[in-house]
Amino acid sequence: MRDFALSPELEELRAAAERLGHAQLAPNVRIAEAAGVWPKAVLDVLDGFPLGGLDLAESLGGVDAGVLAKVVILETLAQFDPSGLPGADRPGASAGALLACPDHQLAAEVAQSCLNGLAQSAFTVIDPEIPSTQLDWAPGWPALRWVWAMQADTLRLLEVTGSVQPVIALAFQASGGVRVSLDQTTERGHWELSARTALEVRGRARLWGAAIGVGIAQAALQETIEYTLDRVVFGKPVAHHQGNAFDLAYVAARIHAARLVVRDAAASFDRGEPDAGFWATQAWLEVREAAFHATNVGIQLLGGHGFIVDHLAEKRFREARHLAMAAGGLDAAEFDVAAAVLDVPDALLASLEQR
Amino acid sequence: MIELDAKTLAMLEELRSLGRTYIRPMGLEADRTATPPPVDHEFYLICTRQGGLVSRMIGADEGPTALDWKPVRNFLIGEECAYWDRGVALSLPGPGLGGPALRNTGTPEQRQRFLSIFEDHSKARWGAMAMTEPEAGSDVARIKTRARKQGDEWVLNGQKMFCSNSARADWVVVWATIDPDLGRGGHRAYVVERGTPGFEIIKVEHKMGSRGYETASFVLEDCHIPADNLLGGEAFYEAKKGFKASMATFNMTRPLHTAHGVGMGRAAHDLALDFVRHEYPAQGRRRQRALERLARIRRGLHTARLMYLNAVWLAKSGQSNAMEASFAKMYSPPVILEAVAAALDILGEAGVRNDKMLEKLYRDVKILDIGEGTQQVQRHVIARQMLKFPSD
Repeated sequence: MRDFALSPELEELRAAAERLGHAQLAPNVRIAEAAGVWPKAVLDVLDGFPLGGLDLAESLGGVDAGVLAKVVILETLAQFDPSGLPGADRPGASAGALLACPDHQLAAEVAQSCLNGLAQSAFTVIDPEIPSTQLDWAPGWPALRWVWAMQADTLRLLEVTGSVQPVIALAFQASGGVRVSLDQTTERGHWELSARTALEVRGRARLWGAAIGVGIAQAALQETIEYTLDRVVFGKPVAHHQGNAFDLAYVAARIHAARLVVRDAAASFDRGEPDAGFWATQAWLEVREAAFHATNVGIQLLGGHGFIVDHLAEKRFREARHLAMAAGGLDAAEFDVAAAVLDVPDALLASLEQR
Repeated sequence: MIELDAKTLAMLEELRSLGRTYIRPMGLEADRTATPPPVDHEFYLICTRQGGLVSRMIGADEGPTALDWKPVRNFLIGEECAYWDRGVALSLPGPGLGGPALRNTGTPEQRQRFLSIFEDHSKARWGAMAMTEPEAGSDVARIKTRARKQGDEWVLNGQKMFCSNSARADWVVVWATIDPDLGRGGHRAYVVERGTPGFEIIKVEHKMGSRGYETASFVLEDCHIPADNLLGGEAFYEAKKGFKASMATFNMTRPLHTAHGVGMGRAAHDLALDFVRHEYPAQGRRRQRALERLARIRRGLHTARLMYLNAVWLAKSGQSNAMEASFAKMYSPPVILEAVAAALDILGEAGVRNDKMLEKLYRDVKILDIGEGTQQVQRHVIARQMLKFPSD
């Protein structure tokens, strides 16, 4: 039987993240968005946590607490304010690339520079059919130094040696978005990975975004419930109208499902299972839809209030879509799962069939 | 096949040129600065002048039929304006949402008095309509703004919010109640003119998108207006037409919302198509998926357009269109949002950058599912009519 409980240590970590979110993130959401960065006090706490090294091996300078721990903490922080998370988690979506990089010494150099707060690392998926010459958005103005770029199963590490441009994007303003032309970079290495390892790298990046997406969706649902229980229309609270109640129930079910698949995929990485990248990509696809649905319903049920900046519904709506474009977006993810689906056994029944 | 008369075609052609030169750049600037274009913007004067777009839209240059409404033409123009920028389209000078209210409810004298100001081509002028209140959005029957008769005047007290163009309007059609206990039967519409003591703008909202027009809140504190400003006059309400009149306004504005959505969806489609043409390979699986997405977008836009045209055609033919107006309003916003999301997927990671225009469109379109009655309100309206709820 699968154990869905968090370990006491992880539960303690989650509670600490929750306290930080309550005390320092939630009250400063719009301030951080305008400033382009989370408050320094928050970044200092997270660096000591350490947020960035939570899921990195000790050989890379991390604390090797596992991918499950990472997604739980990301989800928790994102419930309070996801906007600065990509900038605060400097290896962030690149963790899979760092671990898979065959040049361990180089990977350790990159990881250390990120964990020391000196550099930011970004991850992107380049479609071989549409080879892009630039990275359109990455967090970490002005510290972006490393770009891990995957094209098919080739992993490249690019060091930014030219100028990077600050860029305003749909969301995540508190992470200081940047744009960089790839001809402003120097290649530090490229490696041909196995198809399975390559999918693991992409899957880790997607799972990182999926965890944040679950937090955004959960926060959206929470705010929507509070508002719709308070606001009265046609003689009763908005939430008590059957059509709206059904929508809220459906959102809650989708978030629950999304959280389960994210944590399941994370645990799959921690157990070293061969198809973790596939399940992580599936989880991202599930979260992509669930987070969009939750934030969309959030605006809908707040009505006009959902469209103005006095509430956070509009911000979450933007964030959910922004996340949905990461790591190559929908096409890259669906191509990945389509390519692997016939080779990945059912997670439960496969073990029965082997008896 | 939808056939357009020569005059409409000419106006659309002119609008296309204005859209490229003015409307889209104005919309992008308003989005960047989070401030609507100023009232003395050159474009508004171009639209307002004799023979300009706005004067022709309200038929002011068409001789004895002055101020006659040309609904189908205006809806197509609404679609084309929104293609370039819906926010700026909503900021165009003219009677705005107050126009349908005046046409549906106003006496001939009131129509002449309040609409003829738009024949003055020397200056851009606006009208507006205010229904929503802090505690009454979808449930408009709950409005609390009070109207008391005092001699030859009405005295208004209350607060309105999410009112388009009200901060720059010459007059605002304000919905109020003479007695909340009368429910919908107590509703009255009044024209409140700018400068009337007690009428004060208190806030211009900061929005996620659609920043090309202002959305304002205002208060009415012992605001005295002439008895003649009661829209339709006393007799109109004695016939218990008050609430129905406000709803009749929505029967025309909801399809217009859909027309705007089709315009925005077309903009997203064209941006994505342009990207496919220039960035995608001539063949391959990515191109195939992009073309499938474009086809799906076009299907949704075509259907939504037919729905708004049908609702307008019914109204023009003198038939009830309440259900069809809500059909259009319910169907189209999710389809348009999906269209913009699909266009973003075609652009991939580049889509999140705010200099790509699609990012702005994604923020802009969400209001379509809120204004003029949310998705949920449309379902309610349709279900109530279709199923004949016992309470009716």
